[in-house]
Amino acid sequence: MCITALPTIAQMVGANRILRGVAITHPTGDPSRSVDDERAFRRQIVERAVEMLATDVEPRTVWELQP
Amino acid sequence: MSSTLADLSIATFAIHEVVEGTRTGRDGSTLVVDVPQLAVGARSDALAEVTVEVVRPDDPVRIANVLDVVLPDVGADDLDGTFPGLLDHGRREWFPTGRIHRVDGVVVLSVCDWRAAGAPDADELPDAYVDMAGPGVDRNPWAGDVAVVVRCVPAPGVPVADADAAVRRASLLVARALASTTLGESPDRIDLCRHPSTVEAAPDLPALAAVLQIASEGPLVDTFRLGRAMGTFAPTVVDPREPLAGAIVSGAYDWPAVRNVTAVYQGSALVRELLAGHGERFRMAGLVLAPGYLDGADEKQRAASRTAELLAELDADAAVCTTFSSGNSHTDTMLTIRACEQRGIAAVGVLAETNGGLTDHVPEADCLVSTGNEDELVDAWTPERVIGTEGDARVGEQVPTWAYVGACVETGDARLTAVPA
Amino acid sequence: MTTARGPIVHYLNQFFAGLGGEEAAGHEAVRIDGPVGPGRALAAAGLAPDVTLACGDDRFGEHEEESLGTLLAWLDQLRPAVLVCGPAFGSGRYGYACGVLAREAGRRGIPVVTAMTPDSPGVIAAEGAAYVVPSGSNVAAMKDVVPVVARLALTLAAGDQPGPPDEEGYLPRARRANVLVERTGAERAIELVLVKLRGDVRTEIEPPAELVHPAPAVADPRTVTVALVTESGCVPVGNPDRLQTRRAATWLRYPIDGLGSLDADAYTSVHAGFDTSNAQADPNRLVPLDAARALERDGAIGRLHGEFYTTSGVDTPVASAVAIGREIAAALREAQVGAVILTGT
Repeated sequence: MCITALPTIAQMVGANRILRGVAITHPTGDPSRSVDDERAFRRQIVERAVEMLATDVEPRTVWELQP
Repeated sequence: MSSTLADLSIATFAIHEVVEGTRTGRDGSTLVVDVPQLAVGARSDALAEVTVEVVRPDDPVRIANVLDVVLPDVGADDLDGTFPGLLDHGRREWFPTGRIHRVDGVVVLSVCDWRAAGAPDADELPDAYVDMAGPGVDRNPWAGDVAVVVRCVPAPGVPVADADAAVRRASLLVARALASTTLGESPDRIDLCRHPSTVEAAPDLPALAAVLQIASEGPLVDTFRLGRAMGTFAPTVVDPREPLAGAIVSGAYDWPAVRNVTAVYQGSALVRELLAGHGERFRMAGLVLAPGYLDGADEKQRAASRTAELLAELDADAAVCTTFSSGNSHTDTMLTIRACEQRGIAAVGVLAETNGGLTDHVPEADCLVSTGNEDELVDAWTPERVIGTEGDARVGEQVPTWAYVGACVETGDARLTAVPA
Repeated sequence: MTTARGPIVHYLNQFFAGLGGEEAAGHEAVRIDGPVGPGRALAAAGLAPDVTLACGDDRFGEHEEESLGTLLAWLDQLRPAVLVCGPAFGSGRYGYACGVLAREAGRRGIPVVTAMTPDSPGVIAAEGAAYVVPSGSNVAAMKDVVPVVARLALTLAAGDQPGPPDEEGYLPRARRANVLVERTGAERAIELVLVKLRGDVRTEIEPPAELVHPAPAVADPRTVTVALVTESGCVPVGNPDRLQTRRAATWLRYPIDGLGSLDADAYTSVHAGFDTSNAQADPNRLVPLDAARALERDGAIGRLHGEFYTTSGVDTPVASAVAIGREIAAALREAQVGAVILTGT
């Protein structure tokens, strides 16, 4: 699966499991949060990524971080 | 011969002109219609209003909120069996056999502005047009036919499924009434639709089957077989004459260009070609009805495998796989093609395209028929009249092909295709 | 002097509109009277923009619906005779914004001309709606593309049709046009399948290069080996193996066995396409090793594969990207990796 803040580009090139990343410059991070918050947030992102890997999807599916 | 496999004959009566008169009847190739009487006959408590109107080829008219297109049919030996399950009360046995009288040159359009009627979820129903002239006329597979437009307004407070049933009944009644003008008369042509098992065919001819994909997801997006909403059904082998004989009727008002209107079942080019060619270039192995829009990858895969299994039981060497509408039904088509090829059954898929390309694809789908590009814009047109809505009908604006009923139907009944620009 | 049937509108990103560099990539959409930046070059070539619209590349990419909404509302008001987007050169984000805006403007019947590298995602995004003038990767190509863009735009603005691609200097448009033919789809389908039975495979729709049917879901993530792959240009500090910062034709792999996190003093990003300061402060923001390791420790995934794979995905020729993907996939297959988390910027 892929994590990117530009999910439409990922769709266009044929990715099927796409998780919208936080931002272009930090897809799996958030500098506006405290260090501990950010770490917990990143864990949620990766858990969501794993969830997507374990889910059957239609072609070019985009998920948000929050369902 | 078993009565279930007896011949179906479709007797066609050519109509070149439709005029309004005081009594619905036929005079040679002219159809006379008593418009107010037809409307009265189509009335129902679930409808506040029914109007019937005749619109002719080249009339500068756009018809909006078109729900269905129906060929005028009547069961010559069995009036009540016309559109079985929908015009009679309680079904006894019915087979797609006997004689049907069909009027050629006239179609019935059913029209209802669900949005104006306040139907729930009506906002999700896309614009659906038929243009009788102008640049959109080549998106109208029935452009050469006179349109008898049956426009209904639901009665307030009636549940949408009931109103819809009444709208459907209205258009089917008018279709039957028009065809009934031919009873007792000699047709211009008779097509004998014999069940393939009753016709000898050399065993070394390749065996071709048709897979007709159908979806039925609830009120306003349903398909009816023998009067019952098909819902989620398992792939099924049926008598190939069923669709031709009016057993399958559309109640689906989703994307217009790829909508399987009733007329494409009645007139099924695919089934008719296969039946007509049986014993000549090929043998017709049979017809499978297959579900589209199944929820979930497992369900889709199971249905695709089951379809291929049925085709193998029919001894098919090849299959033509049609598609129902757009979106994830394309995945059903692709998985079905793959399942066929994995069993050594050559498959061709019938699909519409968009500017963004195909919705799904598998490597085995190396043989595809294009029914056109739904995203192509048609030049702006200002008709003199719009029927079917008081609201916006894109007058004077470009219209995307997807908004034209039947333009890109993926049963293979239309003549639009897409080529590199 | 143009005989345009409406205003000439020009779309730019934050940099070319003079709103700032990467730090202004989040700038909201704005509307400026008259030509700006490259718009002056267009004016000198005979196509003077009446209005310039601009938006930050990151803003467009991350808030596409909202940005598009604003820009399209302006276009609806202006009713331009032609819209020129860019040139975007080799910038993927800018090219993408140009392509999407072109596609939507096209749906409204507005003719569009744009310019970008042929491999830009904007070419696909435009879905054939724009006349795309192929350009080189950087601003040095401006003097070559401006006259071509201006000429095409003037033709369109006058309501005329440009000549064929090779004569007029634009990429063949990937458009599929509808035609009415003699035979029904059913007749053609029967013929095609009979011919296929004889071993001759023909089709009316070519297999799409980009479309792959989704892989089945991982049955049990707790037993699967997951690999981390990235196009963010994440490499050890010092870029010891000289990963190209743009137009990469290669990929690299680095060991992460026993590593709990990508520390800022050990890893960095050399990607030339975005502001890497946030990533350099914490490379886990690009390759989420710390979180993946935590999931591995807690048994949520079976194993984290012992290497991560990296390249720089900016101005990458499609052919290179495809080759890189194939090679990494082959390496992962050989290592019996069951799933991949790929991070993109």
